[in-house]
Amino acid sequence: MSWVARRAAWRRRLRLNPLATHLVVGLVALVTVTPYLWLLSTSLKFKTELFTPTPRWIPWPINWGNYAEMFDRAPFGVFLTNTVIVVCGILAVQLVTVTLAAYVFARRRFRGSNVLFMLFLVQMMIPIHATFLPNFLTLRSLDLLNTRMAMMLPFFASGYGTFLLRQAFKQVPRELEDAAVIDGCGGPRFLWHVLIPLARPTLVAFGLISLVSHWNDYLWPLIVTDTPDVRTLTIGLGMFVQQESGADWTLLMAATVFVTAPLLLIFLVFQRKFIESFMFSGLKG
Amino acid sequence: MADSTAIASGPEVAARPISQAALWRRRLGGGSYVYLVPSLIFLIAFTYYPIGFSAYLSLFRWNVLNPERIWIGFENYAQLWREPLFWLVLRNNLFYAVGAIPTTMALGLFLAILVNQKLGRARGVYRVALFYPTMIPMVAAAMLWVWIFNPGIGLLNYYLGFLGVPRIEWLYSRHAALPAIIIMSIWKNFGYFMLIYLAALQGISADLYEAASLEGAGAWARFRAITFPLLGPTSLFVFVVAIISSFQVFDQVFVMTQGGPADQTNVLIFYIYQHAFRFWDLGMGATLTTMFIGLLLALITLVFLTVGRRVYYEGGA
Amino acid sequence: MQRRWRVWLMSLAVILALAAFPLVTSEAQAPGKLIRLTFYYPVGVAGPLAKVIGDMTDKFNKENPGLEVVPVYSGDYDPTLQKVQTSVMAGNPPDIFIVEISELPTLVAMNAIIPLDDYVKKAEGGKYWDDFFPAFRENSILRGKIWWIPFQRSTPVLYWNKELFKKAGLDPEKPPQTWAELKDMAKKLTVREGNEVKQWGVTVSGGWNDWLFEGFVRQNGSWLINPEGTKANFTSKEAEEALDFWVDLMYREKVGPPHSTWGSTPPDFVAQRTALLYHSTGILTFLRNSAKFDFGVAFMPRNKTFGAEVGGGNLAISRKIPKERQDAAWKFIEWMTSSENAALWSIASGYIATRQSSYTLPAMKEFVAKDPRYLVAREQLRYASGKMMAPNFQKIREILKRQLDDAVDGKLPPAAALAQVQQQVEAVIKR
Repeated sequence: MSWVARRAAWRRRLRLNPLATHLVVGLVALVTVTPYLWLLSTSLKFKTELFTPTPRWIPWPINWGNYAEMFDRAPFGVFLTNTVIVVCGILAVQLVTVTLAAYVFARRRFRGSNVLFMLFLVQMMIPIHATFLPNFLTLRSLDLLNTRMAMMLPFFASGYGTFLLRQAFKQVPRELEDAAVIDGCGGPRFLWHVLIPLARPTLVAFGLISLVSHWNDYLWPLIVTDTPDVRTLTIGLGMFVQQESGADWTLLMAATVFVTAPLLLIFLVFQRKFIESFMFSGLKG
Repeated sequence: MADSTAIASGPEVAARPISQAALWRRRLGGGSYVYLVPSLIFLIAFTYYPIGFSAYLSLFRWNVLNPERIWIGFENYAQLWREPLFWLVLRNNLFYAVGAIPTTMALGLFLAILVNQKLGRARGVYRVALFYPTMIPMVAAAMLWVWIFNPGIGLLNYYLGFLGVPRIEWLYSRHAALPAIIIMSIWKNFGYFMLIYLAALQGISADLYEAASLEGAGAWARFRAITFPLLGPTSLFVFVVAIISSFQVFDQVFVMTQGGPADQTNVLIFYIYQHAFRFWDLGMGATLTTMFIGLLLALITLVFLTVGRRVYYEGGA
Repeated sequence: MQRRWRVWLMSLAVILALAAFPLVTSEAQAPGKLIRLTFYYPVGVAGPLAKVIGDMTDKFNKENPGLEVVPVYSGDYDPTLQKVQTSVMAGNPPDIFIVEISELPTLVAMNAIIPLDDYVKKAEGGKYWDDFFPAFRENSILRGKIWWIPFQRSTPVLYWNKELFKKAGLDPEKPPQTWAELKDMAKKLTVREGNEVKQWGVTVSGGWNDWLFEGFVRQNGSWLINPEGTKANFTSKEAEEALDFWVDLMYREKVGPPHSTWGSTPPDFVAQRTALLYHSTGILTFLRNSAKFDFGVAFMPRNKTFGAEVGGGNLAISRKIPKERQDAAWKFIEWMTSSENAALWSIASGYIATRQSSYTLPAMKEFVAKDPRYLVAREQLRYASGKMMAPNFQKIREILKRQLDDAVDGKLPPAAALAQVQQQVEAVIKR
């Protein structure tokens, strides 16, 4: 046998039994997906068809009316708009603060940079869940309660984003920057024309992670908003549950589908980008 | 003239005369600090000031019936120490951590190894199917699982029945409520851990496995000798993330159990929320907040002392 | 790859632009002197009640061109209270709001609402106040002043599944009248398969089990907190007996589930998982529309006497708003609680109409003639009294619920549980 063939044979021994692997992974995947299928199924049922002794997976007759009715009961369209505004607003400002900060941490030396960077790193580990009470009081004294701005403010700076981007910026070789400086493209222009384009994958990754995590925010919007005109999807769903006193499951499931659909659809379309972003969101090495 | 506060190098730049202003700028690190101002404003306002503020507030009695703050020193802390519900809440957090973290990590690692195999086209499908729960808001997942956990007509009890498992009251049983929340959280989170491990696995050279296999190592031995140790840093990262998020459990409890039955699912953040926004006991809320932040800071210090340095200075490739 | 990015960015920009539109246009105000009042309200029972409130406020706005009431649905009773308190503390309270009745002492302590005696005395030529059912009036009065007006009011009732009664060999037209009968029938109605309970005999709904417990204590002839909210009486013999009865049902005889939520039990009843259900009269419409079987509504069984607690929410006017808005707010409240509108609200929601005269109106007469079950709660008002209230009631609720939960799990005897409640509640009331 040639050494190539021998190598291939050894390589094959390294693999786990493919059939078994497919079976196990497939099973786990099925179990993971099942709840969502059940969600879809329930959302299309009639109220009276809900309490069958054995679970009926295919609803018959199909009730599309739940989706219409839920808009009648609560302004889910407004909630969607608000959510989009809030997550885009947060990301827009984050991109500015993060880029500027990461630039100096990556490319400049200055006194106290280590200590200052520490501040950014520590912030990564102090979530809003730890600081929501004092932040609530701050916003109250600024008279900003019940506004979209209130939902965005605490997230405008991101230690995590700064950290990620700093790593990316550091990858650019010194020589490139020196050459650029000589050509008259130093400092901020270098940042804009060279660093940012080169770091685009990281920016995209960070953007996706930020969008997803703030789309799904609950605690913070819950305590700073009161009225439906600024309410977001997650809060809207939570309140819709209370409105129905947990009794009308078909309606609730329809609302849940609506709340989860936008992000899931975008995820399915851009899945590779999403998966890449989240995969490399950890620290390297 | 272009802003050239970058480190000067090369004879051309050194030959140019430097103005006083530029010298000062260079001394102070140049205009670098300006770039940090936007971030720092928000960091200080919404992370660091709150820490100090809540520590300050924790020394007062301040609630809806005492609108003027009254100085009481450490009385709040003493009261908390004596309060059995507080210890129950901490115990719940601990149970949750012990139940959820190892399981989610193991499941994530196990699936990462499997998905890392050559599975052809199916791999993409598997990844999406296993990861999509991360894209759903916790609130939505919680709603869905309340329905699935329904003791009488829920999906779970129905299929468990086929396995001979007696009917469990899940969210309405003092013993099964917290496990129910743990199960639901595992379902929601393991996909994310799987992805992190997947990324790390792809960084392990196949040659290592080959060499081990040539030495006669079976699959399990290869895992123990190569995979597990090399995933050490990743596992640590995952572990730290998992611990911090285990303390952030709120949405599920709020939607599914409201802390019950009998406070068996009352966790720290929900407990703080109750004090702040149900009882309007802001002094006590601040006390709990300060303790929580203290806990986090202790954890951070621990992490930094052990692994942080390596990560911190390793900025580049 | 490049193109996809641009597309995504463009669509995002478009969405943002569209989203900004309502932001810009909503600021347009109607010309002239229009007083816009915000009205925070909760929905505590299943049903499209938010829509009903919307319709009613629309009607009011049309009839009163200078005023516009903006209804804001604020969730269940707890979140609504939280939102009201937040905005009161932030200094811009809603003009009108509905909050659960036990919160009156807290609202007064927060200086959040104004007394309404002057308005009430002048309303409907002086006949307004006496037309409300006496049991409902009780939770409006604190230290001699009228603070708010009853609106969405209820009592708990006992629902029984006639079909399951037949199956168990019981007379489907005779619900249990006493505690002893309840226990007896519940035992016959509990269906077990091996060790598993397939069908509960009686469910005392969780979530607001503190409310239901107060009812049981009244059925035993006692009380828990005095109307002024200054004295707690949890360790009376009667309270102990009531809790012991619960422990009997849910722990010793196991004919009822020890834990549940307020929202989970109506579907359980509809799914025929429980033959008897203690719950608010407010879910009657939901049950009627969802159940495929015949069921009845009855008084809660008595021990020493029939007894019930009233429940629900009242309409209040904020203190920190200008007098002009307070007057406008009163106009709205008076309108909402007129005989006709109280009847309308009752018919649409299943709550008890708060005005006695509502039941003489033809629309109401027709409604109850079609389904006399809607009258049961009203009849039970004879035996009902005000709900217990005290400052910081949220904390008291949690204390009571925790001990109730522990007791029905057999964790500690009823006497000890109630002693704990007494001790902790006293600490709260004293603070």
